Amino acid sequence: MQFPSQQREPASTRRLRGAVTFLSATLLLAAVHRELRADPVHNAIETVQQRVVKIYGAGGIANLHAYGTGFLVSSEGHIVTVWSHVLDGDVVTIVLDDGRRYYGKVLGAEPQLDLAVLKIDAENLPHFDLGESTTAGPGARVLGFSNMYEVAVGDEPVSVLRGVVTARTNLTARRGRFEVPYNGPVYIVDAITNNPGAAGGVLTTYDGELLGMIGRELQNTESNTWVNYVMPIQQLADTVEAIISGDFSRTDEPPEENDPRRYRALDFGIILVPDVIYRTPAFIDSVAAGSLAEEVGLRPDDLIVFVNNELVQSIRMLQTQLGRLQAEDDLTLIVRRGNSLVSVTMRVPRKNEE
Amino acid sequence: MRPSTSRTAGRPRYLLLLLLACAALARATPARAQLPALEEQAFQQAAALADPSVVRIETVGGLDVVGNLLTATGPTTGAVVSEDGYIITSSFNFASRPASVIVTLSDDRRFPAEVVATDGSKMLTLLKIDEDGLVPLQAVPKSELRVGQWAIALGRTYDNAFPSVSVGIISALDRIWGRAVQTDAKVSPVNYGGPLVDIEGRAIGVLVPLSPQRQEETAGVEWYDGGIGFAIPMEDIYAILDRLKSGEELKPGKLGISFEQMGPLAGQARIDRVRPTSPADEAGLLVDDVITSADGKPVRRIPDLQHILGPKYAGEEISVTVRRGEEEIEVRLTLAAELKPYESGYLGILPTRLPLDKTPEGVEIREILADSPAASAGLQPRDVVTAIGDAQVASAIELLDQVGRMQPGESEAVTYLRGGEEATVEIEFAAIPDTVPESLPTANIPAPEEADGDALPTGRFTATLPGGTEEYWAYVPQQYNPNYAYAMLVWLHPAGDTMEASMMRLWQTHCDRRGIILVGPKAADINNWTPEEAEFVRGAAEQMIELYSIDPARVVVHGHAAGGQFAWHVGFKYRDLFPGIAASAAPLQQPPPDNDPDFRQQLHLLCRESDPSHPLVTQTAQALREQFKFPVTLSVTPEEDGQYLSEESLERLALWLDAIDRI
Repeated sequence: MQFPSQQREPASTRRLRGAVTFLSATLLLAAVHRELRADPVHNAIETVQQRVVKIYGAGGIANLHAYGTGFLVSSEGHIVTVWSHVLDGDVVTIVLDDGRRYYGKVLGAEPQLDLAVLKIDAENLPHFDLGESTTAGPGARVLGFSNMYEVAVGDEPVSVLRGVVTARTNLTARRGRFEVPYNGPVYIVDAITNNPGAAGGVLTTYDGELLGMIGRELQNTESNTWVNYVMPIQQLADTVEAIISGDFSRTDEPPEENDPRRYRALDFGIILVPDVIYRTPAFIDSVAAGSLAEEVGLRPDDLIVFVNNELVQSIRMLQTQLGRLQAEDDLTLIVRRGNSLVSVTMRVPRKNEE
Repeated sequence: MRPSTSRTAGRPRYLLLLLLACAALARATPARAQLPALEEQAFQQAAALADPSVVRIETVGGLDVVGNLLTATGPTTGAVVSEDGYIITSSFNFASRPASVIVTLSDDRRFPAEVVATDGSKMLTLLKIDEDGLVPLQAVPKSELRVGQWAIALGRTYDNAFPSVSVGIISALDRIWGRAVQTDAKVSPVNYGGPLVDIEGRAIGVLVPLSPQRQEETAGVEWYDGGIGFAIPMEDIYAILDRLKSGEELKPGKLGISFEQMGPLAGQARIDRVRPTSPADEAGLLVDDVITSADGKPVRRIPDLQHILGPKYAGEEISVTVRRGEEEIEVRLTLAAELKPYESGYLGILPTRLPLDKTPEGVEIREILADSPAASAGLQPRDVVTAIGDAQVASAIELLDQVGRMQPGESEAVTYLRGGEEATVEIEFAAIPDTVPESLPTANIPAPEEADGDALPTGRFTATLPGGTEEYWAYVPQQYNPNYAYAMLVWLHPAGDTMEASMMRLWQTHCDRRGIILVGPKAADINNWTPEEAEFVRGAAEQMIELYSIDPARVVVHGHAAGGQFAWHVGFKYRDLFPGIAASAAPLQQPPPDNDPDFRQQLHLLCRESDPSHPLVTQTAQALREQFKFPVTLSVTPEEDGQYLSEESLERLALWLDAIDRI
């Protein structure tokens, strides 16, 4: 699928083949061309490109690029982008699609949402209206706009990619390796939107309606593949408004309980097989007499496959899941017994504090 | 999100409704681009139609690293192929040999699944769940497929409510030697095993990773999301479904011949080697026969033959016509699943390591190894081997090529010079012994004559690849003399510790004595080697080879624990670069490649007796030696404590490395 953007120039080659062909081809193309001019997709692209800006800031060493993308959300120069190292420097330079240059200042940021709002001193700028955003489902055609790889320079508008929404899902970023604070709902896109410098760009429908902000380069924890994700604008709009109006106070990071290990399988009377390899399946070796596990009917050789609806692929994952439980929680285990799945539920017991 | 009609309505009526709806929509919102909007609707409807046949597959347990890959632990996708619970999926999903498989249907119901059978040629696995009333995929007839038509890749891994969608076109038909359809829709572990459907929601095929060059479960994964994806045609899957349902394991059929040159430009199919006991051997095919037709189709060049054999399974019969001299001979043979592995011959000498400014004329013997054919035949150090049979050998590389192609038990005349006198002796070649020489005098390298002003760094230093940020450290003996070739040990550290200091402490003396350069690439995340980093390891090794005098016959990749696993991967991936792999406390977790006389690789496995991996390491050594006929040495030491190597096993590893150029 191609965007009709330029009129093709067939006349020079076709002239030789005869006046009739030449004439009809020219007429046909003229008609097609008129049609293209009126094409709303074409218009949408032009409109969106005027609202997307190129951002230059800190970086440039190692693999950290010193450029990014942002988009205008007010006529007086409020710009939304991702909270990244590019904004760390003293000076952030903003270049509009027509080449005008401004110095921007960071008005506020919400690391929890991977979000920052910048301000430049300008007026009457084309911009997105955050109140008029939309949503899309899998298969919906979308356009991605960003200054990926710093291709656009000066008065060149940002690059456009096309694709479809692959899925709406919750982000599961690879913990510990490519940590992203944002873990809310996202769009997954089948175009390679998340390139260096693309974070802070926008995803729109073919009509140019705003869907969300392109995220960072990130690997999916579950499949070890690079994932092209976009944060829906609805997730960001309230915070952006609050930052602009000045009544935003950024949330401090919640104290991260790293593997609290409050409970172990043994606390429920479950004795697992020895954890010998990295991914030992969570088979029950035996069940302690008089324990909760015995009460709900767990048996030796049951394979624990889900803990509170989370798939556990190994004893390690099981222990992590159990570790997060609190007293009085419900614990639902689904075990594979022979060729069937059996579900049992227990109440997490109180532990004697040391 | 899911149109409620998709499950109940018949397709013709449904499509009509769809068209009406689109027309209405187009009228209602004239601003919307009509064609793109209609197409968008069609994509979504196609996905909705196939939706009930797309299932999620989750696995429990299994290996963490398969080959190069940290295997996906996330969910993958499958496709329903019969009402009574059969589900086809990509074998990639099972590369880690999971203990248990769970299938989730589109209506969120979960079932345990059994693996019924696999197709090792099309890389498919058939699963069965205990449930009736499923909706199987409808196949598009292959004859209807056209390059350029819409192709929509579906998966069920992100969100169970609706399949994930990626839209592209069919890029080619009959790819991967006639096995697959190619698409530019985004295909990755996220939708491997899911269907590729047409605009009407009928299945074109099932998505699998494939590579024209390689065969294992994870081949082709490196192309994920790159616009090069493959699907096995649905019609072909239904054609073999009954065989798979009966539990038959389907494997690619092999003839047992090889050609001097493969690749896209390879010429006529002149047989270079015939594997002993292979179908080709038993049918009487000979070296230098030229295959002119197979299965009734003409073979003008080697790729023609690959196209004919590609879709064939082991057990199928084909006819092959060859030209032998003036004669045309037709044979019928039954393709085999497995070929008897190739085993390299062995003479039992170590070649003298000449200064690089000397041109060798023949191969001077530095040492005769004990209990070897060379020893029995009375060859002596300083003899110069000049020919094997009729083939002249001017260098150690040429000698290795000749001897490597001999089978153990074969005899050949060996010509050599002793004190200027030419002599010939008939030698019966043996197999490379599974022992490390007891001791080996070091081949001394003299100190360089004069200090060079801008000499290369020696001692311990750190370097990066041009344009890259990945770092490696290296140790080059202080007395480095560029006129002599050094061995190179590429060290792949275990998880969590580069062990730079302790490697230096343990290895420095060996490096100085035996002329070894030590190179230690560092993983970007010290806790984990990622598959992509194989490229970096190769880059580091090649950079050192470019800068320093390094003997290509003595380049070894060595790792401990997780680094050992990675060493297997790197070593088998770049067989031309690493004639040796030394893995410590790391059992092999993937099927090794065939032993190949073109890339002779010697393998050394090390382990402490108390290490939990000890039984598996022993099994690995045995399997590599007996089933795959690799030259394998195993070193188990009894010490209780310590992480890496004991002094004894270190000494043995250094000896193995120093003798790795044995021929």
